[in-house]
Amino acid sequence: MKTIGLALTLVLGSTLTGALTAQNVQARLDGRVSPEVQRAVRSIAADAEARGLPVDPLVQKAIEGAAKGVPADRVIAAVRALAGRLGEAREAVRAGGVAAPSGDVVEGGADALNAGISARQVSDLVRVSQPPEDPALTLRVAATLAALGVPPKQALELVQGMISAGRSPSDLLGLPGEVQAGVARGATPAQAAAGLARAAGGTPPGRIPDWVPPGQQKPRNPHKP
Amino acid sequence: MMGFDPMVKRLLDGELSLAGLPPELRAEGEEALRLVGAANRAPVALSSALEQRVMAAVRSHAASPGNRAWRWLNTPREVELRLRVRPWTVWAGALAAAAGLALLLVGRPASGPGPGNEARGGTRDSVFVRFVLYAPGAHRVAVAGTFNQWDRSAALLVPAGTSGVWTTTLALPVGQHQYAFVVDGARWVVDPAAPAVDDGFGRRNSLVAVTAQGAHL
Amino acid sequence: MGFEGEATDAEVVRAVLAGDVERYAVLVRRYRDRYARYAARMLGSRDVAEDAVQDALVRAFDRLADCREPDKFAGWLFLILRNRCYAERRRPQRQERPLDSTDEMFASSDRPDGAYEQVERAQALERALQHLTPEQREVFVLKHMEGLAYEEIAGVTGATVASLKMRMHRAYDRLRELMKEHL
Repeated sequence: MKTIGLALTLVLGSTLTGALTAQNVQARLDGRVSPEVQRAVRSIAADAEARGLPVDPLVQKAIEGAAKGVPADRVIAAVRALAGRLGEAREAVRAGGVAAPSGDVVEGGADALNAGISARQVSDLVRVSQPPEDPALTLRVAATLAALGVPPKQALELVQGMISAGRSPSDLLGLPGEVQAGVARGATPAQAAAGLARAAGGTPPGRIPDWVPPGQQKPRNPHKP
Repeated sequence: MMGFDPMVKRLLDGELSLAGLPPELRAEGEEALRLVGAANRAPVALSSALEQRVMAAVRSHAASPGNRAWRWLNTPREVELRLRVRPWTVWAGALAAAAGLALLLVGRPASGPGPGNEARGGTRDSVFVRFVLYAPGAHRVAVAGTFNQWDRSAALLVPAGTSGVWTTTLALPVGQHQYAFVVDGARWVVDPAAPAVDDGFGRRNSLVAVTAQGAHL
Repeated sequence: MGFEGEATDAEVVRAVLAGDVERYAVLVRRYRDRYARYAARMLGSRDVAEDAVQDALVRAFDRLADCREPDKFAGWLFLILRNRCYAERRRPQRQERPLDSTDEMFASSDRPDGAYEQVERAQALERALQHLTPEQREVFVLKHMEGLAYEEIAGVTGATVASLKMRMHRAYDRLRELMKEHL
């Protein structure tokens, strides 16, 4: 019963906003993409809009493709694939316990899927992101970690570990930078992530050591200028 | 060949003395001590020109237009500043492909976003992000991304001194952005210091996340 | 620390950040050779080590605003140099550098007269070190050349004492194998 009610609202709502969105999409694509791409993207966007999915990323992707000189058919294929991912992401977010996710969270989910995180893992991430945690942020950080080469399973463990240790959103946002710092020291992304997960409950990494090599306690006498 | 006996290893670690080893391990212990005894502890002297080279680079970095911003950051401001610098990969500079790193800072933009910049909302929702690219030999460098509709001419970088470094500072709205550098109008280059994702067209885009706390990978 | 009238690291760092760029030369002179041995052993060549130290000093200047504890500049600079040494490992062209270039590092060391085998052994160890993993080489260099205790090495590298000992013990075995003709 509730589902039907929701679906009706969506259909009714979209009739009103649908016209606005279509105009908006056209305005944004005019002059930036070929007519063929514009036609196809308007259609895909209208469909996405009707399903309650965010439209902006689709328009962005089309503009990006045109700017990069990509042939029309590939642009359209990419936009269609993105629409599919957005739909899949929304289902995964819903399965994680958020009944009516915002566009941000759905986009975050789509980014995570694009980075190699599975739908099931997206659901898990959403599930642990209870307030004050923001699922959009959690998903974005996980996606970025995966984009750095951290295996999805470890990216999840790291993010979940940080959340359960009560670390702040700023600390979460800093994770990709810390992983990259670990990689610069010679670790693999997986090793760097594992190291951070171990430290999640302890002091933040990057502590400056208080070390002077023995036998060199005094600084060298600088030459007189 | 077998490794050293665990007791011999403890000898090397300084936890045991040679006399503390059982007689049958003494010979092995002496062999092990010869090994670590061969470590050359002589100080290594580097060339005297090193100081000149370092100071020359330091002066040039301090004087370049991009670094006026660096100096500004170190004077007290009312706005809280948090400076995050990514691990640097400019040392891959021997490659023909450009390497990039972004210097990220938080602040209230003194003026509105630059021309061609479509920052959403007021200045409260914008964060300055500085893009730096090492591209010696390039004639034109731009950064294009979701924040400027992937326009190749909207955000040109300017050379900082003669070091081959190009830079620009943009006010980006809060949110997740994808971007890439465009070298000489045609070559799309990701930022190797940033995470990269599939762009759906067979290439990759760099990521930057902008929040009220600052910009992050 | 240091001689009477000499500015501390913290004072110099603050002066540089306030705009007196030329004062940075004080830190360059103070530290240019301090970690040279570590860099040379990690990288297997004095030339490459010099590049690394130079880069690290310039980098430390660029990031000076990030040095949250100016009186710990020495340790902070070391971390930058350490990162730089690890980054160096991934440069493909460096791997072609012939290992007997490490012989140049012995020009300045004291050689006991007639101790030919000792010199041979020292050179063999230098070459063998380059065959260890960077982590193994580092713990060996820090303990047996820089003289640090495991706890101090743990503080610098962020590894646990237990894992450092494991790495070291593997290094001992590998070095024994590589140097068997010389021991």
